[in-house]
Amino acid sequence: MKHAGSLSNLRILDFTGELGPYAAKLYAGLGADVIHIEPIGGDPLRSIGPFYKNRPGTERSLQFIYYNAGKRGMVLDLKQEKGREVFVELCKGADILFESFTPGYLDGLGLSFDELSAVNPKLVQTSITPFGNFGPYSKYPGSDLTCSALGGFLYLAGIENDKPVRSCDNQAYRMAEVYAAVGSSIAALFAQRTGIGQFVDLSCMEAVGMALETAAQCWDLEGTLRRGRGKEAGTATIHPCQDGFVAIVAIMGRNKGMWTPFVQWMKEERVEEWELFDNDRWVDVAYRESKQAYDLFCRVFESYTMKHSKQYLYDTGQAFKVAISPVSNGKDLLENPQLIHHDFWKTLHHEPVGGNVICPGPPYVFGNLKWRLGNSVPVLGEHTAQVLAECGYSRDDIAQLDQEGVIYVAKP
Amino acid sequence: MLQNLKKALEGIVVCDFSWVGAGPIATNVLGQCGAEVIKIESKNRPDLLRTAGPFKDGIGGGLERSGYFANRNPNKKGIALDMSHPKAREVAVRLIKKSDIVINNFRVGQMEKWNLGWEDVQKINPRIIYVTMSLQGDSGPQKSYMGFGVNLNALCGLTERACLPGERPFGTGTNYTDHVMAPSHALFGIMAALLDREKTGKGQTVAVSQLKSAISMAPTSVLAYGANGELLGPMGLGDPDAAPHSVYAALGHRKWIAIAVFEESEWRALKKVMREPQWAEDEKFSSLKARKEHEDELNERIEQWTKSRYADWLMDELIRNGVKAGVVNDARGAIEDEHLRKREFWSYLDHPVVGSTLYNRAPISFSKTPLRMESAAPLLGQHTSEVLTGMLDYSQEEVNKLVEEEVLV
Repeated sequence: MKHAGSLSNLRILDFTGELGPYAAKLYAGLGADVIHIEPIGGDPLRSIGPFYKNRPGTERSLQFIYYNAGKRGMVLDLKQEKGREVFVELCKGADILFESFTPGYLDGLGLSFDELSAVNPKLVQTSITPFGNFGPYSKYPGSDLTCSALGGFLYLAGIENDKPVRSCDNQAYRMAEVYAAVGSSIAALFAQRTGIGQFVDLSCMEAVGMALETAAQCWDLEGTLRRGRGKEAGTATIHPCQDGFVAIVAIMGRNKGMWTPFVQWMKEERVEEWELFDNDRWVDVAYRESKQAYDLFCRVFESYTMKHSKQYLYDTGQAFKVAISPVSNGKDLLENPQLIHHDFWKTLHHEPVGGNVICPGPPYVFGNLKWRLGNSVPVLGEHTAQVLAECGYSRDDIAQLDQEGVIYVAKP
Repeated sequence: MLQNLKKALEGIVVCDFSWVGAGPIATNVLGQCGAEVIKIESKNRPDLLRTAGPFKDGIGGGLERSGYFANRNPNKKGIALDMSHPKAREVAVRLIKKSDIVINNFRVGQMEKWNLGWEDVQKINPRIIYVTMSLQGDSGPQKSYMGFGVNLNALCGLTERACLPGERPFGTGTNYTDHVMAPSHALFGIMAALLDREKTGKGQTVAVSQLKSAISMAPTSVLAYGANGELLGPMGLGDPDAAPHSVYAALGHRKWIAIAVFEESEWRALKKVMREPQWAEDEKFSSLKARKEHEDELNERIEQWTKSRYADWLMDELIRNGVKAGVVNDARGAIEDEHLRKREFWSYLDHPVVGSTLYNRAPISFSKTPLRMESAAPLLGQHTSEVLTGMLDYSQEEVNKLVEEEVLV
């Protein structure tokens, strides 16, 4: 079968930049034909670091490489009438269009969903923006930080009166993107079955609402405003060790069954003053929440952790059935024995830098569908001519459009 | 238009063995999109989240007052089925025959113990999408290592960077990976398998790794170390391409305003809102590069200005002038936020025990197949009779007998 083991029968247009690329990457990972469309001058993500060997350059952004591996790439100017015509041609053959333009921008160019839908009724158009296409903030400027703040996610990343800390890798963007992929797949299945496409609206501010855990219900049911965990002794606390930090959940709630193995671990490792842990008061949540308990826990436990590496503590604690884990950095992750065992890290040879980039591998394994990183990352304009030829443009048309600056074709 | 009334996943049936966090969040989204989700629990093995707070009015005890459980399980039908009873399997088999998706997040081997592993299920219904969700996979030296979301946050690299320089790493303050990364990848995996089934007519397994899903959404530390041998370290509140970019104290208890300035035009707009203070004209703040070099001083100066003003006033003024800014909302702020309300992100659903309580929908707005937020989380076993007699063709007598035999408990 032609499309066996892949979603290669799906054609995806990805007209996103800093916000958006992970959505279409998920499709590219399963073999869909993803075309990343960039504006003249290139995707802004190309200028975001870190860069390969720390040297900035159009083809050197590590995030651009990771998020766009396995996609084809073309360059198109929507500001020109002829560019808009090309865009409509592309939409005719597409199943899903991901875009992250300011709400109303495409409408203003005569490329509203209704207009695109008229040429392709099965098209699913998925918009990923800071605030979404409707609601009072829809036209507001937004960023990952401000969306994380407004949605209530950022507030949780701190305790007591501390300022919150921010998560890495623009998680408000990533959340909206991963749910954009999910929403689009649901709409695409519906379109396959009914012939009816639709507009799917994603808002980063709203997406972070999925990450509030119990916070909204704490307010609604109990009238309390919770913040993050981190100062309840042994319950989701972080402790320094010889070469970094470890995270531990030695007990949750009143679960003594969890605490007993922890005490056993401390005893067998002959931790100084381990006996202090061998006491039922630690099962009492109120005690563990006290400053006295937290300080005591840190003093005794850290006298032990400071003598060992995070890997030793991980292996040893886990052998005692204690939920402890290293606070991994990039090096730890690349050296993680479990991930190495699974051959998780994939190497991509990136011709323009003449070197290899190591990327995360598959998040899942299917019985039939095969995951792939992709063989290459599109250089600016690499597939412009190829994609246009597939749409029926002649060589002369393409050369003409390139010359007029409507498209950009990479020169060999 | 008639199609407006249709739900996107109408007709899809989910046999849901999943519990606690990641699994139920995934099936919650499917249910909101119109799938019929049958949640299997037993009084002898209830979803553990039923006993986790917060509880309505702060009163725990029983299995029906947890808001933690509720928000993950609206629009589902709950059946009580004690899988440890020898007669339970037959009920599950009938449900699997009617299902499109079977999902569990048990430890490896549990489903096989009930003879409901993939090999068995495939024989019962070859069109099934069979979803498993393990922390670290079912092979390898650390396959049986355990952990909660907080552990996974640390293991996957998120915690290390969510840190103010010189302080202990903090992370998100929540079990973030369980709530976002694992369920969203499970959802995409399920939908990809359903799309594949449209072509092949066959089901397949989807094995989601929670650790790998998390790394896929936070790849930069590895990318940087792999390419440059460099550890990125704590990120603080900054952004390499923006300054000022932080969270600043505002008037009131635990009130902050987030401000993010990427472009020179935004910097000029910020200065305008601050009424062109003299200090901001200094050479050391004249370009992004200069502002990054003097970021601590810049942040102090700005906080001097914000701390005597209200966060909502600051946001309004800054946004009006084109500066990216947002109040650091606590949960109440997010619940009462006019934008989220107008988008109907929140809804109140009526429950037989706790009455009307708060839920949020999935963050996806479809123009033609709207999400549904119709019914509160099920009581344990609330729909046992309805599902068995309506969907699985049992007679009421048979149901009664299975209840007596303690199969349906």
